[in-house]
Amino acid sequence: MTVRLGTATVLDGVDLTVGAGERVALAGASGAGKSTLLGVVNGTVPPSAGSVRVLGADPAALRGAALRRLRARVGTVHQHLELAGALRVVHEVNAGRLGSWPALRAAWSLVRPQGVADVVAALAQVGLADRVFDRTDALSGGQRQRVAVARVLVQQPDLVLADEPASALDPVLTERVLGLLAGPAGRGGALLAALHDPALALRHCDRVVGLAAGRVVLDAPAAALTVADLAGLYGTPA
Amino acid sequence: MTALLERPAAVAPRLRRDRRRWAWGLAALAAVGWSVAGALDGVNPAGAAQVGAFAAAALSPAVDGAFLGVLATAALVTVAYAVLGTALAVLLGALGAGAAARTTWGRRRLGRLGRLATRGVLAVPRGLHEAVWGLLLVTVLGLDPWVGVLAIGLPYGAVTATVFGALLDEVPRGPYEALRAAGAGRVAAALYGLLPRAAGGLLSYACYRLECAVRSAVVLGLVGAGGLGYQLSLSFSSLRWPQVWSAVYALALLCLAADVAGRAVRRRLAAPRRRAGVLSRDRVLTAAVLGTLAAGAWSWWFLALSPASLVSARAREQVGVVLRAAWPPSADADLLRSVASAAVGTVQTSVLAIALASVGAVVVMGVAARPAGRCPPGRRLAGVLVRLALLLLRAVPAPVWALVLLFVLLPGVLPGAVALGVYTLGVLGRLAGEAVEEADAGPRAALGALGAHPVAGWLYGVAPVVAGPVLAYALHRWEVTVRDTLLVGLLGAGGLGALLASELATFDWPAVATVLAATVVLTLAVDLVGDRARRALR
Ligand SMILES: Nc1ncnc2c1ncn2[C@@H]1O[C@H](COP(=O)(O)OP(=O)(O)OP(=O)(O)O)[C@@H](O)[C@H]1O
Ligand SMILES: [Mg+2]
Repeated sequence: MTVRLGTATVLDGVDLTVGAGERVALAGASGAGKSTLLGVVNGTVPPSAGSVRVLGADPAALRGAALRRLRARVGTVHQHLELAGALRVVHEVNAGRLGSWPALRAAWSLVRPQGVADVVAALAQVGLADRVFDRTDALSGGQRQRVAVARVLVQQPDLVLADEPASALDPVLTERVLGLLAGPAGRGGALLAALHDPALALRHCDRVVGLAAGRVVLDAPAAALTVADLAGLYGTPA
Repeated sequence: MTALLERPAAVAPRLRRDRRRWAWGLAALAAVGWSVAGALDGVNPAGAAQVGAFAAAALSPAVDGAFLGVLATAALVTVAYAVLGTALAVLLGALGAGAAARTTWGRRRLGRLGRLATRGVLAVPRGLHEAVWGLLLVTVLGLDPWVGVLAIGLPYGAVTATVFGALLDEVPRGPYEALRAAGAGRVAAALYGLLPRAAGGLLSYACYRLECAVRSAVVLGLVGAGGLGYQLSLSFSSLRWPQVWSAVYALALLCLAADVAGRAVRRRLAAPRRRAGVLSRDRVLTAAVLGTLAAGAWSWWFLALSPASLVSARAREQVGVVLRAAWPPSADADLLRSVASAAVGTVQTSVLAIALASVGAVVVMGVAARPAGRCPPGRRLAGVLVRLALLLLRAVPAPVWALVLLFVLLPGVLPGAVALGVYTLGVLGRLAGEAVEEADAGPRAALGALGAHPVAGWLYGVAPVVAGPVLAYALHRWEVTVRDTLLVGLLGAGGLGALLASELATFDWPAVATVLAATVVLTLAVDLVGDRARRALR
């Protein structure tokens, strides 16, 4: 599978399969193509050549409601979070359920928030329960990142895509958030996470895929790797 | 949920609604309901046939040489009014800016008083519509070309002074203070330390005023000052529909040309092109400035303006007579009662107009926005069509829409509201579309990726971001619409404008003074409410 954006070839002949129950870390220098690869999987970046299969289905062959049902099973923590900001936290978190909500229910929820108990429970897991009704743009960077994580928690997807999901969090929260995102993988789903911290990748994932300039240069079980092996991906002397 | 969530929430805070916003929202809804109730009187079925004939003529405008010649001359008159009116406004604005700017007054208490006083004085000419100025000036000066120039120049001058003052106040004051510290006088320091930084903004605003002046000059014609609008009203009153359409097309073209040229120049002003390292001016901008100056000189000659007629004995005498007759304003109970009910009608018209325009703008803004990435050709085509339709809506001034609607609708709130609503939709739709273009596409794409219905994606990803700016635009346009409602009223749609027209027709000067005072108070009150509402939104 290949992705070209503008004149640049960002992903070049990537061939990758993630099995059920697997937790896979994506490693690679900044600009290597990790975010783009995650975008291809969740459908925000169309591949220029090749094909993608997600949860056993071909998204390119699906339309309308069927495509929405497939996408509802894929949850993403985006690198730039992609929260609207001008909404209360409860709505931003509830947005995780838009894949299963009809439009009318989504609209009504903006007036009278639906399923607040679930939202509060998800927020409690990331330590934000007391901010449910605050405006999202009044939160700190790390707090917003936790809102994005809570959105994925209420979505209850089978496949979790996480792009630097803990980049703004303290060590304790980092552990907790990665544990939460790995939840679906433990129940037969999967986790694909771009992680810059090699130690974190080795601790939380079963397998590490290394990208460099858009190509897969490393694919090995975490147990067979050391932090020093991963450091090589970043061009630092091991 | 249960599989994922082991621990119950520690605390569950309560949802606290923002009382202030809810109050404003409910008040707005109530105002719209009240205005709708006021608009429920009458449709005029007898006029439907006329509208049919009128609409049918749209495809066969008059194109005979003689009439086109007349139209061309009329268009030149309109342009000349616009150019000279703007020139006068900029002159007055520059003088007034000195009086309105904080820089002049400093920060002491006396300074604050001085600024307040200036603002108060400026509010009066600003509160009266150009067309009202036109009507008043006609009674004083007769059919002199100065009427058109002054009717644009005076109210525009007051607005320009306020805006120029604000622009000067926004310029960083370091260079100015440095020059002052080095011993330069206030004027010299302002010329070297403030003006160069503010020049772009000032020019850009002057250019915007010229665009607006073209529209105003057309409208002035409708109340009898000559030019394209005048031709239009002549053809209209003699029911010559093909000619009416020729005039409508001509003035739509003129307004469009002003719009497009003005936007091009303003965009250029925001990012001028200079060759690196060479001290050279932007050719387009230089040409625009020189061209405008030349157009000013030509206009002066073309309209055969003579300063003498401004200060002629007859004019001075007329001013004296009118002012003496108008003081004190009438406090007749009957008049006050009809002023009150006309004011109610005016507010209802403007509220209904802005409600129509806002709903329309919200409906079309998604399509009106140019999509950022790739998209199907059907979507692109729909966007072009919607933008074109909005362009046409705002190219035809609201009074023209009103004249047409007065065939099918009885005079009252409804025709004015629909006419102004249609025109304002043209303006608001574009602004809202641009707000959508500026909004980040990321959140919406992210919602699409998790399977959200497109409507839901819009509600959670785009609407929250654009709601603020769009509401602010709508409030601002409401203030403008109240002024325009007066104008539409002058042409017979009802409200304070209609009352003013009838008092003017009978030369009842004390009553005219009362109506004018009510007008100024109403516009000031509306500005105040709009300002408060905008602050609550922030
Ligand atoms: N929309 C785009 N148009 C053109 N090039 C793009 C676009 N998006 C990303 N790229 C390029 O693709 C390459 C990979 O980007 P990507 O965001 O996938 O990197 P990344 O591995 O996630 O980096 P980081 O660790 O810094 O987030 C970069 O060189 C970037 O410049
Ligand atoms: Mg990235």
